[in-house]
Amino acid sequence: MEAEKGKTYKYLREKREVSEAAKENLKNFTRVKKSILEALKEGDMTIDQLAQKLNMPSSEVVYFLMTLIKYGFVQTGAIDDMDEYFSYKLKQ
Amino acid sequence: MAENIETASYDALVIGAGIAGGEAALNLANNGFKVLLVEKDLSIGGKMILLSKVFPTLDCSACITTPKVSEISRHPGIKIFTGTEVKKIQKKSENNFEAIVVKAPRYVIEEDCTGCQLCEQACPVVVRDQYQYNLVGRKAAFIPFSIASPRVAAIDIENCTLCGACEKVCPTKCIDFTMEAVEHHVNIGTVIVATGFRLFDPLKIPRYGYGLYKNVLTSMEMERQLAPTRPFNTVLRPGDGKVPDKLAYVLCTGSRDATVGNPICSQICCMYSIKQAQLLMGALPMADVTIYYLNIRSFGKGFEEFYEQAKGMGVNFVKGKIGKITEKENGNLILRYEDINESVVKESEHDMVILSVGVMPNPDAGGFFGEGELKLDPFSFVHQTDLLGSPPETSIRGVFVAGTASGPMDIPDSILSAGAASSEAISYLNRKQ
Ligand SMILES: Cc1cc2nc3c(=O)[nH]c(=O)nc-3n(C[C@H](O)[C@H](O)[C@H](O)COP(=O)(O)OP(=O)(O)OC[C@H]3O[C@@H](n4cnc5c(N)ncnc54)[C@H](O)[C@@H]3O)c2cc1C
Ligand code: SF4
Ligand code: SF4
Repeated sequence: MEAEKGKTYKYLREKREVSEAAKENLKNFTRVKKSILEALKEGDMTIDQLAQKLNMPSSEVVYFLMTLIKYGFVQTGAIDDMDEYFSYKLKQ
Repeated sequence: MAENIETASYDALVIGAGIAGGEAALNLANNGFKVLLVEKDLSIGGKMILLSKVFPTLDCSACITTPKVSEISRHPGIKIFTGTEVKKIQKKSENNFEAIVVKAPRYVIEEDCTGCQLCEQACPVVVRDQYQYNLVGRKAAFIPFSIASPRVAAIDIENCTLCGACEKVCPTKCIDFTMEAVEHHVNIGTVIVATGFRLFDPLKIPRYGYGLYKNVLTSMEMERQLAPTRPFNTVLRPGDGKVPDKLAYVLCTGSRDATVGNPICSQICCMYSIKQAQLLMGALPMADVTIYYLNIRSFGKGFEEFYEQAKGMGVNFVKGKIGKITEKENGNLILRYEDINESVVKESEHDMVILSVGVMPNPDAGGFFGEGELKLDPFSFVHQTDLLGSPPETSIRGVFVAGTASGPMDIPDSILSAGAASSEAISYLNRKQ
């Protein structure tokens, strides 16, 4: 198959199977991203509040939330009175 | 594979483009020799390019590394292959080596990529970012890190779903999924091995709970948290995002410990931990930092003063041997340790623990030449056959070692060692048989 410039991914699709793990990883990220963004639509939240709402371990919330900050979906809000936990909000 | 073979000749092959390999390549090229610098990773710069600041001066590591890296990458006498591994080297005669190196496909035409990151924005796939030691995510189409060299994208093909989004948005049409590995057959006159070190894997000490307790980190994870291009907005616990205020360092994790197969001192952990403690006190002014140590080895220039400076800033030093770390429900950690001065077992609570992981040999070096040709020392670092007279010499004439490939050392010593290796290599080239 001749690969067309700008569409070479089609060429590799013919030659290489995308792994189940890669597909599953994408599905999971898309799902978690959606649920974090939905939750934050209701207002600012801390990691602990998100973990409880989404029924996810806090460490997973840290990873996904920080990634969403990196890619410009979420921003860091205020820190609590004890200077311990930040809250997070949707990026305007 | 036959159509993907390319041949070329160089005066020197430098394997590994950390600070040692980069420095050695520069010295050779500045003396008029043609150098092939082969790097396994997607960027040159080794571990140093990922550090926060450096002891004992607290200079910004990126500020020192970036100009050096750009000098290396722009030098007309140095050809750099990233994402490339050495398959085999054969010595034919003096000043005559043949090497086979394989460049893996990056799926991006390096010369055409402008580093615009549009592919990264378009890519829907997120996986853990190895350059941030897994603390945050990155895309499958990604620029390794902001000061990477070359600062061009790569496709992580194992995690890519071949959706084509990156290719559609790339303005220069430089993403190319037809790329394949290219085997280069090169003739060279001399070789410098600068393959660096590996970090001790703390999973080998299960009683410290790394991996299980999310607020137990390695020192390299803390380096990233302290770097200007850090994964979080400030130092945070990966377990729950709390700003820590009672941190502990466990020195000699995986060093001076025959039970984990590494009886030697890693030479850098005392000092980088003292450095990080000082940086933490700057970043978190209200925090308490305690360093649990067996002995503080502050043997280098300015090191003792640096240690005293940390004490003066309020870093707490406890001569104690950690037995076990356990986790409380709130994510805090209980350290059970033997207070060596008082000979009693004590417990203390911290909200974050940093394991000062040691320097381990990189086993790659032993595999470049024929079985047993490049001799390793009893700890599996590259054996230096004339340690006192000519430290860069190895068991193969014309092959030299630079930096931590020969044993633990800090940045200044790695640079000195690279200077010695490159001048030995130059003498060897000039002494043509
Ligand atoms: C947490 C931490 C903090 C530190 N802080 C300081 C500090 O403040 N000050 C200081 O002086 N030192 C510090 N150091 C030590 C410093 O990182 C080392 O001294 C220095 O990086 C050694 O450089 P190197 O080039 O020998 O090795 P490396 O940095 O390990 O580079 C080796 C290079 O070789 C490449 N490579 C490996 N195998 C192959 C292969 N088979 N083929 C091709 N390429 C290969 C690697 O990808 C890498 O790019 C710190 C270390 C750690 C772990
Ligand atoms: S083709 Fe792969 S790298 Fe490119 S956008 Fe799709 S998943 Fe990402
Ligand atoms: S591969 Fe294309 S889209 Fe991605 S950074 Fe390079 S030029 Fe930009």
